[in-house]
Amino acid sequence: MADMCFSSGSGCSLSLRVKHGQARLTFGSRSVFTSSKPDTANPNWVRVGLAFGTSAFLWGLLFKQHSTDVHEYKVRNGLE
Amino acid sequence: MGFIPDQGKSLPPPAVANRNSVWLAGVGWCSAMLHNAINHRPPLKSGVHRQFLMATIGWFIGYHLTKYENYTYARLDRDMNEYIRLHPEEFAAKEKKTFAEIVEPFHPVR
Repeated sequence: MADMCFSSGSGCSLSLRVKHGQARLTFGSRSVFTSSKPDTANPNWVRVGLAFGTSAFLWGLLFKQHSTDVHEYKVRNGLE
Repeated sequence: MGFIPDQGKSLPPPAVANRNSVWLAGVGWCSAMLHNAINHRPPLKSGVHRQFLMATIGWFIGYHLTKYENYTYARLDRDMNEYIRLHPEEFAAKEKKTFAEIVEPFHPVR
């Protein structure tokens, strides 16, 4: 297998070294040693709520801006 | 995307659904899916809140971009028409010739 990394271990960010018989692409994302693995079974509900809340806020802002623009256009062109 | 001056506010605003919005929302959605794929997560099924947020941000930016685009084109059109109005000598209509005047007489050789 192609070996682009000259140091042993997992200190390299670009590696196709065969490991346990499987070659993995390891560039594009880094593996960080943390004490706990990212828990995909239990979502971080705070972040989910923040994301959806921000989306709702942006949609509200968009529709408000649009209605303001339409009203402004009608007023300036004497349609209302 | 920038601040639109006062004169631009009398233009008809774009619809909430417009080309730039749809495209940039697609870009945001694909970037969220790409982020999932890079981090070895199922691209479509994971992080729906992230996908929705990125698509929303794209849609929002697209709306304002369309507004700015409309303003820019309106301004350019207005300036161009104003220039044409002030310089009519440069835009005189060419006198038109019919084909009968241009075409040479035809002598068939059979």
